[in-house]
Amino acid sequence: MRNPLMLAVCTAALAVSGCTKIEDDGSNSGDVENTAYPEQVFWGDTHLHTDNSIDAFGFGNRLDAEAALRFARGEEVTATKGDKATLSRPLDFLVIADHSDAMGATKAIMEAPRIALLTNDFLLRWHDMMNESDEGALQVTSELIDRAAKGTLPDSLTDPEQTRERTADLWKKHGETIDRYNEPGKFTAFMGFEYTPMPDGDNLHRVVMFRDGPKDMGDTVPFPALVSQDPEKLWGYMAAYEEKTGGKVLAIPHNSNVSNGRMFAMQKFDGSPIDAAYAKIRALREPIVEVTQIKGDSESHPFLSPNDEFADYGVAGWDKCNLSCTKDMAPESYAGSYTREALKRGLELTLALGANPFKFGVIGSTDSHTSLATADENNFYGKHSGNEANNKNRALDPQNLGTRKGRFGWHYLSSGYAAVWATSNTREAIFDAMMRREVYATTGPRMQVRFFGGFDFTAEDTADIVKTGYAKGVPMGGDLNGGDGAAPKFLISAMMDPESASLDRIQVVKGWVNANGQSQETIYNVSWSDADTRKLGTDGKLAPVPNSVDLTKGTWDNATGASELMTFWQDPDFDAAQNAFYYVRVLEIPTPTWPVYDALKFNLTLPDEVIKIQQERAYSSPIWYTPAA
Amino acid sequence: MFRKLTREPLIHFLGGALLVFGFFWATGTNRDPADYAINVGDSDIARLKATWVQNFRRAPTQDELDSLIDQEIAEEIYYREALRLGLDKNDPVIRRRLYTKMRFIDGEETANADPSDAVLQEWMDKYPNKYALKPLYDFTQIYLGQIDSADAKKRIDQMNAGIDPAKFAQSISLPATLTQASSSEISRPFGDRFAGQIEALKPGAWRGPITSGFGVHAVKLTGITPGKKAALNDVRQQVVNDWRADGQAAQKEKALSDYRAQYEITVAGRP
Repeated sequence: MRNPLMLAVCTAALAVSGCTKIEDDGSNSGDVENTAYPEQVFWGDTHLHTDNSIDAFGFGNRLDAEAALRFARGEEVTATKGDKATLSRPLDFLVIADHSDAMGATKAIMEAPRIALLTNDFLLRWHDMMNESDEGALQVTSELIDRAAKGTLPDSLTDPEQTRERTADLWKKHGETIDRYNEPGKFTAFMGFEYTPMPDGDNLHRVVMFRDGPKDMGDTVPFPALVSQDPEKLWGYMAAYEEKTGGKVLAIPHNSNVSNGRMFAMQKFDGSPIDAAYAKIRALREPIVEVTQIKGDSESHPFLSPNDEFADYGVAGWDKCNLSCTKDMAPESYAGSYTREALKRGLELTLALGANPFKFGVIGSTDSHTSLATADENNFYGKHSGNEANNKNRALDPQNLGTRKGRFGWHYLSSGYAAVWATSNTREAIFDAMMRREVYATTGPRMQVRFFGGFDFTAEDTADIVKTGYAKGVPMGGDLNGGDGAAPKFLISAMMDPESASLDRIQVVKGWVNANGQSQETIYNVSWSDADTRKLGTDGKLAPVPNSVDLTKGTWDNATGASELMTFWQDPDFDAAQNAFYYVRVLEIPTPTWPVYDALKFNLTLPDEVIKIQQERAYSSPIWYTPAA
Repeated sequence: MFRKLTREPLIHFLGGALLVFGFFWATGTNRDPADYAINVGDSDIARLKATWVQNFRRAPTQDELDSLIDQEIAEEIYYREALRLGLDKNDPVIRRRLYTKMRFIDGEETANADPSDAVLQEWMDKYPNKYALKPLYDFTQIYLGQIDSADAKKRIDQMNAGIDPAKFAQSISLPATLTQASSSEISRPFGDRFAGQIEALKPGAWRGPITSGFGVHAVKLTGITPGKKAALNDVRQQVVNDWRADGQAAQKEKALSDYRAQYEITVAGRP
């Protein structure tokens, strides 16, 4: 035993060795039948942190991967701060994505025998602070994040050589837990981790998820950003993994909203311009982006889309400064931070390079650090264990992430989930659906969204959208190439979540490149509730849906919206020579935000600036149109 | 008399004790020599060397090793003196640390266990509802829209009187019929509220209004397959996971209550 941390973890591992004997075959999906086409949407969270994440543990989380899996499956779990927690409805799949940097380290520091740390004053101090009190543990976490941003963490936490053994051990044990809870056809547990580069506090984070079970992953261990902050190095690691194991892996960028324009920059990490090789590799490795989560929404920004009256959702608090709040973000940087703009840049780059680095679909996920994958407004367990559901100050407290300038608890969103159209609830089927981008994002509600594009649809095809959609067109995430010059046609439907709110409208967001090579956008309202009384204005705008929220009760009236919206739509402004993408945005009627429920529960008065009413939403993956060569 | 006394074991003992006390009195200390022995053995030296190598990537020189050993001795001396002064008492760090250690040890037995089928079966029998194969329902439903309950009731009565249900059906992409569907399979498209009401329905005529998030429905239940006990092999993976998770938690609770039983605890203001 060379390393004090290693010693601690091995002691723990020794004590639980033998727990592997229980027979199961979690990785066998062979018995599960796949449907001919995706009939069901599966709901999951691809971005959940447990006590193995250095910051989650530091913020007080004491729930491990097993608790996280049980909770996601619908079991009751006692949250770190004592509440009995259950999801209103179980999830279908889960990716536990603990930070690869110093994975398990805070837990190991706290649980290490004190004597093992005596040679390291630095770790010893942290150990004592963490053991002394919750405030001490929080302080340690702040120091950790600060030092991580400055690159001054001690070697024993950051040196890959020194941490590899500890990580390998922990990863093996984690794999056993994942396999015990993976039940093909019922619940899918994925292997994954978060790669967390943060140059100067600019967020370049990715979740990495594997198609394969731990038994087929050889001696693979998570790739730390401490090895390299350059995502191209991560893609290299992914390629090497696939080469070595014959397996498959994908990466999911997130929180581009706090990347200070760097997530979807026109340059590579080293500042050189994106070239075709980079574009191809990026599109291959990063087929989907997490567009909405607790730390804000990254779809659009009012500065970029001044004509989009819904562009400001989940923007407040997050657009001022980068992740660590060490740098202010100028509006000029926003173009590289939001997905709609990235999709537009992708079209421009397609023309310039012949390849599109930003050809991605979208999902939502939580990024919860509590081991509890919650995204319901009235059952929100917070960003981390310092602001779980029983903390009455959490909505108004300043955030503990980075500095405390201008970000408050209420800026957190109770968002979101990943919706996947797959042929079965198995690792293979869900992963493959993500690779073909047949996925969409929601901010929490589980509305069902279908979106098909094709050249041969007719208005009558709405009678059986799904069958016709697959037979005559492509689903969300797909490509329409060439055609005979006529505008592409779309079949679109959205059904409300029966446990949430009814629907205001479906919109199509179109991006295209004009004759000057500049990308443009237009938003079309294509289907809405009460269509007999609500008419489109000459500007294409639609009157807002009535607001039925009663803030004194936390209720709303579903009769003000539609249960289901369905339409056939053809692009009225089509130019066959112009590259374009189309995606769907579905808006619910107005509903209360989570601080409203907190206010009712704890009898609080919320200040005016707190956002109390919102329109939750779904974003589909795009369908791209490319002119014939 | 004196000779008799010299053969008495008690006197030997007392005499010995007097000598020991005499020694402590004479030397002015009150100590057991064993408490004051520090033995730095080969294995300790090897450990010190290994830690050095870990930090500095080379073996320590003799001087460095000597100072490591002296440091180790100094620490051990201070550690023992601190214990003698009672510095381990009322220290929140040490208290919490020992608490954590005990809780960790107390959860280990279940983690190591490899349960037999008999154990698992016993666990299953304890929670028959949780592992039962749920009842399955066959039904047809008509979506009546977002209308009020009285209106819906009128329409359902008319349907039962022979009016074609299609006359009232609003279009929605929900299945018109489900067969052999469990409550959770019904919830997926229709939501929990709807599923809960199906479980309470009597088969036969059109019933309702059944409320869901979408609005109201008329439902005709055509068949119920009663639930039954599951075989262990049908639900083994779930049973093993639940048994383990519960066992670890229960063991910790039991350990605490076993300890607690040995204490008499009084709290001001608590009866």
